[in-house]
Amino acid sequence: MYLIKKSDVYKIAEELSKTHQVFGPVVEKESGQTFLVKTDDPKEIDLTAPIPVQPPKSVVFPQIEKIFSYRYDKNTKIVDMQQEFKVEPKAIFGLRSCDLEGMICLDRFMLGQEFVDDVYLAHRKQMFIVTNTCIEPFEQCFCVCTDSGPCAKENFDINLTELGDHYLVEAGSGKGEELVQALGLEKADTSFTEKKSAAIDKSISKFETIATDNKAWISRVMNRMTTGFTSSDVWEYIGNQCFECGACTFVCPSCSCFNIEDVNRTSGESVRIREWDSCSFEGYTLMAGDHNPRKPVEDRRNKRFFCKLSYSQSKKYLRPGCVGCGRCAWVCPGDIGLPNVVTYIRRETTEKVEQ
Amino acid sequence: MSEHKDHTCVNKLATIPHAAVIDEIKDEIEDVRTYYLSFEDKEIEKDFKIKSGQFIMCTVYGYGEFAVSLPPSPENDRFHISVRNAGKVTGGLHDLKEGDKVGIRGPFGNGFPFEEIKGKNIIYVAGGIGLIPLRSSIVHVLQNREDFGRIILLYGARSPKDLMYEYNIEEWKNFDGFETYITIDQHVDGWDGEVGYVNQLIEKANVPVEDTVAFVCGPPIMFNSVIGELIERGLKEDDIISTLERHMKCGIGKCQHCAIGRTLVCTDGPVYTYRQIKTLGEDI
Repeated sequence: MYLIKKSDVYKIAEELSKTHQVFGPVVEKESGQTFLVKTDDPKEIDLTAPIPVQPPKSVVFPQIEKIFSYRYDKNTKIVDMQQEFKVEPKAIFGLRSCDLEGMICLDRFMLGQEFVDDVYLAHRKQMFIVTNTCIEPFEQCFCVCTDSGPCAKENFDINLTELGDHYLVEAGSGKGEELVQALGLEKADTSFTEKKSAAIDKSISKFETIATDNKAWISRVMNRMTTGFTSSDVWEYIGNQCFECGACTFVCPSCSCFNIEDVNRTSGESVRIREWDSCSFEGYTLMAGDHNPRKPVEDRRNKRFFCKLSYSQSKKYLRPGCVGCGRCAWVCPGDIGLPNVVTYIRRETTEKVEQ
Repeated sequence: MSEHKDHTCVNKLATIPHAAVIDEIKDEIEDVRTYYLSFEDKEIEKDFKIKSGQFIMCTVYGYGEFAVSLPPSPENDRFHISVRNAGKVTGGLHDLKEGDKVGIRGPFGNGFPFEEIKGKNIIYVAGGIGLIPLRSSIVHVLQNREDFGRIILLYGARSPKDLMYEYNIEEWKNFDGFETYITIDQHVDGWDGEVGYVNQLIEKANVPVEDTVAFVCGPPIMFNSVIGELIERGLKEDDIISTLERHMKCGIGKCQHCAIGRTLVCTDGPVYTYRQIKTLGEDI
């Protein structure tokens, strides 16, 4: 454990920027919203800013990405294929613990199943992650219910915790330790472990009652989702409120469905791209011959919640697919973000119990 | 996961398609053609081993990629695919000529059981182009005829001109005790065989249920009626095997387009027993 003065904390990002592209939360002046952006000026990064509107997944899993390009000459029958994805060392400075857990979900899914996703791995291998403990929860947060905050426990290179006019710096990997050494930071004595856990406890106590209240219910709903006991009426009710905009998917740190397309350029070259997709879109499962096994919107809508909360899906992530960042609740025009869905299922359960 | 171990893909053809030459094109039924293929790279050709019931991803250059089942037997059979012109990409394939090239990734998926079903009676029930994925298993089983009991093919199509692989069926009839029952939906002139749906053939063939495995593949409506009939006769849910079809993009269990409930057809499937299909948590 080390200490760095608040006013000097940007120096960590500065050091990283020598070898990495640095991404961090930056508050946009015009809108006052936080965005996770690539920045050349580490001083721009605001560690006290609320969680960025978009999750960090685009850093390792871009929204649209070229995989390879090819050219097929019909006359000579020659196929010329080039790998085309760009990989550079990237660092995220000031990642919140929920977003880190989201990335770990992606890791386990993209790298830990039968096949390894080469493209994702290429990006991920070169990443450096600096997490930032949330000493204040934000309005929509419920990471306390999904075991993903307010402080990262592992899987970071460096973790920062704001304590008074210093940041407590913890290295979580060899790479992290090296960087801390290079900066020559002041060592923190053991009393800081206690100070840190006091700060976390204080933060937990500040979460909205609705968030902490939901804690037991999330596990209860996971159980109902897994065993298939949620009635179709509830799904229909939820489905009827869905605008099929896909926003919840795109802002979710652990959603990773994608589509693959070949795009023809005017030069005669074709590019294979992959792009984010959403299971709420009607065309998602549309098969040749116009057969669509998933038709009504509730049929598609419950799929996403199933993915976030059912036990069979959790086995892929080794945790619930939801990390409690609250972004889906924030962006959903139909008011069916995950916390509300939990509430609907909860209501159905309690009503049945009362009868 | 800050420090990664270097993972390597076992399957060389997982993300990057390899070029294969269309050696021969054969017209099958209306809108369906068979493409005989060989890899440009002979090393890949040598290493390319399939199991019956698996599938590949086929790139039609300039159009995109589609998933397609593999009809050849894993033993001594020409590498080929049979494809119906059903959309943009398969339409692009149908425009290609002999000598043109396509890209191949795969093979993917679990495949049909083979060793496990030795010694049993085998029933194949196919509807229309549902015979394409079953062909691989049929040929493989016939190549090892002595290891199996009764082998019965029940095949239904809309009309005589919708019957796939008729020339193959003729060859299969030469195998000792290969029983074939073919039906068409409605009577047409010149047809003197069975008329009606394929589930009616089950009784006709007096299919066994003890020590028996049934492979069923066809459109959902046929699938359900056939399964109902087989179960009524006493066949166990574990002994009914089918291969499922879904819109697929990556083939390696990442894009999630082929999810049915808790399963991904590309890596967990495409072959499932009826008992598994029933518990997937979603309609097939």
